[in-house]
Amino acid sequence: MESTKLWWLENLLKSILVCHEYTSSRWHAVASWTWDAQDETCGICRMAFDGCCPDCKLPGDVCPLIWGACNHAFHLHCILKWVNSQTSQAHCPMCRREWQFKG
Amino acid sequence: MADSISSVCNLAILDKLSDGSIEEILESYNGFCAATDTLLNGAGDLSVGPQFVSHVHGLCKHGLESLLRDHFLGALERTFEKNGALKFWRHFEAFNDVSVEEEVFYNALEEISLEKQYQEKCLLILVHALQSYNHGSHDSNDYRVELFAKYQMSVSSVLMATLPRHFPEILHWYFKGRLEELSTIMGGDFPHDDDDDDDDKDDMDLDDKCKASYRSGQMEIDECYPQGRFLENNKLVNNIGKVVRDLRSLGFTSMTEDAYASAIFLFLKAKVHDLAGDDYRISVLESIKGWIQAVPLQFLHALLAYLGDSVSYDSVSSGLKSPLASCPSTFYPGIDTPSEGLVRWQLRLEYFAYETLQDLRITKLFEIIVDYPDSSPAIEDLKQCLEYTGQHSKLVESFISALRYRLLTAGASTNDILHQYVSTIKALRTIDPAGVFLEAVGEPIRDYLRGRKDTIKCIVTMLTDGTGGNPNVSGNTGDSLLEELNRDEENQENAGLDDDFHTDDKQAWINASRWEPDPVEADPLKGSRNRRKVDILGMIVGIIGSKDQLVNEYRVMLAEKLLNKSDYDIDTEIRTLELLKIHFGESSMQKCEIMLNDLIDSKRTNGNIKATITQTSQAGSELGDNGVSMDVFDATIISSNFWPQIQDESLNVPGPVDQLLSDYAKRFNEIKTPRKLLWKKSLGTVKLELQFEDRAVQFVVAPVHAAIIMQFQDQTSWTSKSLAAAIGVPTDILNRRINFWISKGILAESLGADSDDHVFTLMEGMVDSGKNGGTNGSIEDLIVADEEGESSVASVEDQLRKEMTVYEKFILGMLTNFGSMALDRIHNTLKMFCIADPPYDKTLQQLQSFLTGLVSEEKLELRDGMYFLKK
Repeated sequence: MESTKLWWLENLLKSILVCHEYTSSRWHAVASWTWDAQDETCGICRMAFDGCCPDCKLPGDVCPLIWGACNHAFHLHCILKWVNSQTSQAHCPMCRREWQFKG
Repeated sequence: MADSISSVCNLAILDKLSDGSIEEILESYNGFCAATDTLLNGAGDLSVGPQFVSHVHGLCKHGLESLLRDHFLGALERTFEKNGALKFWRHFEAFNDVSVEEEVFYNALEEISLEKQYQEKCLLILVHALQSYNHGSHDSNDYRVELFAKYQMSVSSVLMATLPRHFPEILHWYFKGRLEELSTIMGGDFPHDDDDDDDDKDDMDLDDKCKASYRSGQMEIDECYPQGRFLENNKLVNNIGKVVRDLRSLGFTSMTEDAYASAIFLFLKAKVHDLAGDDYRISVLESIKGWIQAVPLQFLHALLAYLGDSVSYDSVSSGLKSPLASCPSTFYPGIDTPSEGLVRWQLRLEYFAYETLQDLRITKLFEIIVDYPDSSPAIEDLKQCLEYTGQHSKLVESFISALRYRLLTAGASTNDILHQYVSTIKALRTIDPAGVFLEAVGEPIRDYLRGRKDTIKCIVTMLTDGTGGNPNVSGNTGDSLLEELNRDEENQENAGLDDDFHTDDKQAWINASRWEPDPVEADPLKGSRNRRKVDILGMIVGIIGSKDQLVNEYRVMLAEKLLNKSDYDIDTEIRTLELLKIHFGESSMQKCEIMLNDLIDSKRTNGNIKATITQTSQAGSELGDNGVSMDVFDATIISSNFWPQIQDESLNVPGPVDQLLSDYAKRFNEIKTPRKLLWKKSLGTVKLELQFEDRAVQFVVAPVHAAIIMQFQDQTSWTSKSLAAAIGVPTDILNRRINFWISKGILAESLGADSDDHVFTLMEGMVDSGKNGGTNGSIEDLIVADEEGESSVASVEDQLRKEMTVYEKFILGMLTNFGSMALDRIHNTLKMFCIADPPYDKTLQQLQSFLTGLVSEEKLELRDGMYFLKK
């Protein structure tokens, strides 16, 4: 009796975990990604970090975040626009410190 | 008597009368009366003729011409009444019901005609006598015409005055009988030929079929007039012609015409009903027309020809000749040149046939539309009929009432209603390209559908999923409605493009001359036909009100579908999305596009992670102990901002899997720095195989089910509380979820020590469900966990409620200040003041349903349309 149970359990275990025997058993999980920024939204475009900047259509790789030396994060496109629009040295829009990309 | 009359006439003459002449007059008059009597009652004895003539001359000499004429006519009338009319009617007295034997009818007519002919002969003698008396002074024909007209009048008045009530019916039945006889002779094999042909034609496509039936219609007509058979019919037709002529001469002209017209119409009606029947897959119009040509028109032609077409159609003005002119002469095979009368009859008959067929089709329009693509010939027919008769409003009324009675009831499923709606649109588009009647017909359906909760869902399913769950739709199964619409649209656009390319002056002129006014029933408020191009999708979206709602619902459904995918195969979804983009614009489908993109990205990232993680794990061989490999693990990584709200429940997945998850996330973080993964542990699918002594069973389940069953590896019996703690879900959810395994017979539930603490035990193999269920006991059964009402994505209503809760505070505050407010006022106030983040953009209906929710939560009160704070 006990042995049957053990046998069954063994198989169950195998069926889920021992893949080379039962390739048909698969686990398909779901996850969401997030930029691990401290803030929710980009300080320039007010869009969510996990979304994308107004110029982009797709989030993620296409529209990355960038951190400054001051540890403020922005959409890359947003901060580039900001930096390029400044005549002299650009400052962080949040803390007014000199803008340096975080190496 | 003579004196008195003549004294009235001319008193002066009396003075001049000598005794001798009086004597002569009296003698002549007596002789005349006697001769008249003998003549009229003499049963064909005309021997008194010369004597009669001399008397007439004698009387005329004294200027008593009018007297003798009146006397003679009076005598004729009395005799006719006695000899003709009474006898004639006596024939029919026996038949109080209308079924008169043909023989009796013929005999009666024969007899009275003979009588009449004899009397006419007598009259002729009088005419001759008068003519011979004063030839030259009168136009010789004048007497004749005048006297015969008078005589005719008296005959008809006598007959009319004594007319039995059922005589018109007798006539009607007589003609009906003859017509049937003629029809069986003439078109003996006509309907059968037709049926056979149509059966053969069924597999042709519509255009061919129309042409074919048209062609065969012509052929049938040609074949139906072999001279031989036509001559054979001549006897019958001649008989009828004779009857009609006799009746006419008796003064029954209009009654006869009524009788045979009504017989023909009734017969035609029966024929139309017979031909049209309940089969909508064949076009019957041509065969009906053919039949009209073959039977009733032939009948009429023969009749009119026999009668010399004498009935005064002379009055037909030249304006009415146009239909005749437009008819090619081949249209009347067997008839050389159709007379005007015949053309008029043809037009009448065809109109009647159109009207009958139209009425027949309109009453069955609902059924016709139910089998729409198959029944398009019937729709075509109806269209032609309506073009001819112009009774569109009849169609609208009847169809709407059929809809209300049969479709818009609680018993009909939303899906069926929608399908009928689409079929209706398609069918009516054929009949009425301007969409005027469609608008009228569609309105009740739309109104009704707006009241149903699952309308949006059904519409989205229908648009995107194959045939929308309706297996009855024939043709391109597997194609969604959307694709079909797209094909249509392309065709229309191509046609449109053509127009654009050739808009030189000539083309513009052609377009302009092709312009047709809107049907009279068109609602002038709804714009002209150009703006009212029939757009099926537009009409469907019109049910919902806005495309945003539809897109939102689609997004929820798409999310559900994508999250439950265990492979990354999204080809169909991409196709659907592209189609939706065409219709709704790129921007409104943006989020859906990102969702699909997430899947594509996930596939790539998943491959990447697994490839690199295997290398590292082989190097470190840290995962070896459990034998859990990345090979059986996949993940979908979503951009949660763009997905509908996802109902994430906490769940402790089994240790080894948890380990996998964190490894995977770590690897992701390495590859995509600085992005991180947040696992939605309750989402996804697990395909697992349970091994039993004799077989293996495969399941596709949600992670929570897998987590539950895996707990039983270590321990075969769990109480619900401890199990809930182990997998990290609340007890009530566990109890709900574990039912899946209980129903599959893998776990057993028993009451534990505590009343609400159940004990679940692992069964020894799948004894009960699998084998008792009578399944084949095969090695593998694929059982898919079918969770009812357990969706991983928040429904649109839930989302709305969540969005509206922001305003709850506002609303409660407002009501505190104002005491009570009507729905409109709350709506407007919110619109006015909630312009900041997030702006208030809900509709009045959405607000109302939210407020109703608050009322049911006992936060608010609704009295007389005003909302109060609940005290």
